[in-house]
Amino acid sequence: MGERTIDIRTVAVLALVGALVFAVPLLTADRYLLKVLTFVGINVIIITGMALLFGYAGQVSLGHAAFYGIGAYTSAYVVTSLGWPWLGGVALAVAVTSVGGLLLALPSLRLKGHYLAMATLGFGEIMRVVFVEARGITGGPDGFSGIPFASVGGLAIDSAGANYWLIWGVAAAMLALAANLVRSRAGRAMRALHGSELGALACGIDLTGLKVRVFVISAALAGLAGALYAHVVGFISPSTFSLHASVVLVAMAVLGGTRSLAGPVLAAALLTLIPFADAVIPGLSRSALETIQEWQEDIYGLTIIAVLLFVPGGVAGALRRLSRVGRRWG
Amino acid sequence: MSSEPRTVLSVEGLHAGYGHVAVVRGIDMRVAEGELVTLIGANGAGKSTLLKALVGLVPPSAGTVRFLGEDITRMRPERAVRAGLALVPEGRMLFGPMSVEENLELGAQVTDRTQTVGSLERVFDLFPVLAERRSQTAATLSGGEQQMLAVARALMARPRLLLLDEPSLGLAPKVIKEIFGALRKLKDEGLTILLVEQDARLALKHSDRGYVMRTGSIALAGDAADLLEDDDVRLIYLGAWRGEGESS
Repeated sequence: MGERTIDIRTVAVLALVGALVFAVPLLTADRYLLKVLTFVGINVIIITGMALLFGYAGQVSLGHAAFYGIGAYTSAYVVTSLGWPWLGGVALAVAVTSVGGLLLALPSLRLKGHYLAMATLGFGEIMRVVFVEARGITGGPDGFSGIPFASVGGLAIDSAGANYWLIWGVAAAMLALAANLVRSRAGRAMRALHGSELGALACGIDLTGLKVRVFVISAALAGLAGALYAHVVGFISPSTFSLHASVVLVAMAVLGGTRSLAGPVLAAALLTLIPFADAVIPGLSRSALETIQEWQEDIYGLTIIAVLLFVPGGVAGALRRLSRVGRRWG
Repeated sequence: MSSEPRTVLSVEGLHAGYGHVAVVRGIDMRVAEGELVTLIGANGAGKSTLLKALVGLVPPSAGTVRFLGEDITRMRPERAVRAGLALVPEGRMLFGPMSVEENLELGAQVTDRTQTVGSLERVFDLFPVLAERRSQTAATLSGGEQQMLAVARALMARPRLLLLDEPSLGLAPKVIKEIFGALRKLKDEGLTILLVEQDARLALKHSDRGYVMRTGSIALAGDAADLLEDDDVRLIYLGAWRGEGESS
């Protein structure tokens, strides 16, 4: 909790986890498993922003799936229909979602209370309608298909393994940036405003400015993830970016716990894998998987209730206790 | 007393409140450099609101606040702290789960990074117990230590004017004495201090001057020693009816 010096044990654990994650395409040729784990990586990118927004700045957004969608449609449109290079599409997606985040956060964060949650809820609904109705750009309810794979300078990233590395490479970079931010002066100020707003004000911390900046960062990360997603799957449709998706993102953040990056990342991995349980549990029967998918929402709900009841502090709390035990025995 | 000391804070016709309820109604006051000034008054007289209005936590509806000659009326709190006003809020408002040192570093948020180490040394010098507890979380400190930390955190911003809201609230007499000792020390080093305090006798004893607030305006102003002798003040705010010679 708030250590600014990283001890050697943490470095070792991070290096081990990192090496494991990056070794997966070398260990398996199972394309389905790689695709599922690529989805996990995409959600890790979004949840990194949600962890900063919810876990550090204490703000709730019910509209992050909209930024995810804006990022996806922006890059899909300019790359597929206008022939932009992939990197240009991703950069534009990040730029558009940053500006969108700024325009949404500025007015709603100047007011006290839960206006941001309300504004993002409304924004998400508006964008859902836009995704369906702006057929010329989004393809309407039928979706947008034929989005090319990522490519840099004529080099196409078209295999499941290459896409896996691309996504997890970006995810690792974003996590490293977020970890740096959290340990900086601004990060300390973020933790402070979560503790006592009046205290933070008395310290001369620009609360509104700080919250707006964190919101913009989280919107940009969702936009980045959306752009990456569009080119990984090649087809996008409005249902992926619904209110339901926003709620699942909030669930991941809550389940993950506050003032932590590792907790929300693990929570995102867990909730992403539930509907694809057959990818990670070998021998899971078809009917068992169908049952899981059918009861997906209920499993999400029950998981969250169980964690909140029995594991105080969410996944992050469990990790902290684990590391304390590890230190005692290590 | 030959040359007039510089005015640090001057307030003219200040009105402030919450919504349509005016809590502060036309305050005029002045604090000169190096002074320790106390604001006393009954509960609900508007003392805390006045302090909050000075630093922009409650927006003033009329009047002006000048700080070192600059008009700071309606300045946002973070700008006011940067300008050199630091408030020790009522109830301390510390960052409980964070360490003593982190709380102090947050207080230094508005200053240049290179000053932090020097500021830390200064506050640890003033409150040695904080140095002992530097890696402990703020929530685990005793009430008195927490109040010391709140004062120290405000000092980390290197203020020109320190505002304190009820620093003695809920503390044992021995600790209160320690806190006021520290305030005296800060005053002797040249810091200007404006204090809001329920314990009027204690505050006036340590102050140069005092203002008595009643229902949103200044009812009485004068040298602290005179106020301590004033019949009305003695009767209403010092609890003189409890008997002479009672010390707080």
